[in-house]
Amino acid sequence: MSTRALASRRPGTVDRVGSARLRVLSMLAVALILAGMVWTRLAYWQVAQHGRLAMQAQAQYREFVELPALRGAIFDRNLTQLVVNTTVYSAFVSPDQVAPEDRDRVASGLASVLGVDRATLLSTLQSTAKFAYVQRRFPKAKADQLRAMKLPGVGLQEETQRSYLPGIGSGTTLAANLLGFVDWNGDGRYGLEQYYQKVLAGTNGYISSYRDLANREIVLGSHTHQDPVNGQDLVLSVDASVQYAAEQALAEGVKRDRAESGSVLIMDPQTGGIVAWADYPSYNANDFNHTDAALFKDNVLSYVYEPGSVMKVVTLSGAMNAGAITPTTVINDPGYVKVGGYWIYDWDRRNHGNIDYTYVLEHSLNVGAMQAMLAEGHANFYNYLQAFGLTQKSSIDVAGENFVPPPSVAKMQDSQFATASFGQGIDVNMVQMLAAINVIANGGKYAPPHVVERVGSQLNPLLMQPQRQVVSAATAAQMTQMMQMVVQKGSGWTSRIRGFELDQAGKTGTSQIPVNGQYTQDVWTSFVGFLPAQHPRFTMLVVVRKPNYPGSDRDWTLNDGYMTAEPIWKQIAQAMVVDWHITPDPR
Amino acid sequence: MASAVAAERLRLNVFGHAYMAVGAFVIVVLFYLAIAAQITQASYDIARLQDQQRQLVAEQDQLRYQEVTLHAPAQVQQQAQQSGMQRVVPSSYVQGTQVAIDLTAPVGAQPADTTPLWLRAVATVVNTVGGTQNVQAATKH
Repeated sequence: MSTRALASRRPGTVDRVGSARLRVLSMLAVALILAGMVWTRLAYWQVAQHGRLAMQAQAQYREFVELPALRGAIFDRNLTQLVVNTTVYSAFVSPDQVAPEDRDRVASGLASVLGVDRATLLSTLQSTAKFAYVQRRFPKAKADQLRAMKLPGVGLQEETQRSYLPGIGSGTTLAANLLGFVDWNGDGRYGLEQYYQKVLAGTNGYISSYRDLANREIVLGSHTHQDPVNGQDLVLSVDASVQYAAEQALAEGVKRDRAESGSVLIMDPQTGGIVAWADYPSYNANDFNHTDAALFKDNVLSYVYEPGSVMKVVTLSGAMNAGAITPTTVINDPGYVKVGGYWIYDWDRRNHGNIDYTYVLEHSLNVGAMQAMLAEGHANFYNYLQAFGLTQKSSIDVAGENFVPPPSVAKMQDSQFATASFGQGIDVNMVQMLAAINVIANGGKYAPPHVVERVGSQLNPLLMQPQRQVVSAATAAQMTQMMQMVVQKGSGWTSRIRGFELDQAGKTGTSQIPVNGQYTQDVWTSFVGFLPAQHPRFTMLVVVRKPNYPGSDRDWTLNDGYMTAEPIWKQIAQAMVVDWHITPDPR
Repeated sequence: MASAVAAERLRLNVFGHAYMAVGAFVIVVLFYLAIAAQITQASYDIARLQDQQRQLVAEQDQLRYQEVTLHAPAQVQQQAQQSGMQRVVPSSYVQGTQVAIDLTAPVGAQPADTTPLWLRAVATVVNTVGGTQNVQAATKH
């Protein structure tokens, strides 16, 4: 019995032991699985999500305060400050912080100081909003008034703003199209503010500290601090007085000529530094957010036009320098010529007979310019266009240059060469054209156009580079004399300044405006000149777009450069003679 | 024997140690609180001064803009007009006259020293004894 019983019990015992072990193992496995799940989750949060969680935690207790860099100032050549950084204020209100009994007082206070609508303010205060701006960017005087009122739930936010000098009227600021402006994000827009954004803006700094749950700074906590690097100042070649005189004369001229717009560009002949850069119409850079965006466009640099007869200075200079012609070379001008299947006429369609090239320039004759181009040859003509800087960008240090490259020499047709010789069918901007004419004023050398003379304490490297010789000094002198004759005997007579009649060099330009491949009756008119002719102190180009001079509907020549652009040139030059103490050349 | 008695009197019981520890802790806490209060007060002062500085900088900027605007050509012309002044175009100019100066020409012979010999001798003695006071004064050109 016992043996059997034992024998019969042993397997059962083994079973129980086995099942108990199995249960323990199962429990262990389950525990391990559960622990593994917990560990995995822990590993997920602590390893995989560590970066994100750490950042979230830091965001809760760490405060990062940006220290804005001070934007660099801009000065003119006489160190007159053209742009000033000022602090402006924005008022905001937290409606949930204003008790119902205070709403009237808050609304009245804000309305009386800021001039905002009281009813609108009351409705904002009655809303459930947490935050609302009342007014953006107002001056300190108003902010001081608001501070003194101690209105509950009202806060002031400081912001930096660029303030520009007043221009010729309340609606404009000085040199607005040249300087551009800085938007509310602190980014330079248009002009120098955009071109020199990195230099002017500098690098912001920061302070990083810890805050407690009540958002109080933990003074004994660790701090990190990086000082801002302020932007550098710019010193321009611009003269603020001349700029103002140019803007004033241009505005008067454009209104008198009933033109669409006009521009003036003045250059220092020796350095290529821009002395004045004026556009009309212009805008108020202090109020850019209420300005039609079309006015931001700078017509000096971003508007390309056909320069017309001003180009004859380039054509004849190149031909003279190549030895193809001289100022006294005699040609026959019947008043018209056929090139590449097209008839091309002088402006007066007259037979001028036997004339020399000085006469060609004086009377701005297209046929003569074309013959000069043919005398030097197409390749030479094109090479001189390149040398005078008319086939590439001027690369001036202002944002927004527009440029239309001419076709390559191989692709240009005979008729294109012909029209290009007197400035039609070729597009340039004013900076390119003035820099090209300035070659003559600068003894045959190309002075790279630029606006900034110094960045911080560093001189503009352009000023230290040798200038490229385009034509010989002798050619430049001959062309200067020819341009003097234009003023004394030719189309430049309306630009004569008393006392400088014999010392002025200039050239008019009038070209029809093409629309859809057809020339219209609208014109661009221009006058370029330098003074005094033998020792130039400035070179100036005036362009008037679509003038409609009184009486020009009966006589279209009243829209010519001598009637529209030259008087503007004269008025500005007269102001410069006085301001810069310019005297005639000694003789 | 006497020293053993003194040591026995000075020996503190368990509570005595605890009182000392608590006292030391309280002193440390009070010291910490005093320092923290001072620092907090200083931080409030710093914040207030920073705010004041910001306002002063803003005022300075405003004044600078006013100053610059006062010198701006537009303002100058407006002031001039209010004072009855107007820009006039000069009616005539003084013509420059050329002066012939040959910068490459030789400078010429040195001027002869016409000082009497006796005066030179006196000058030599005086200069040697008293040192050179004014060389230019002793030389005739």
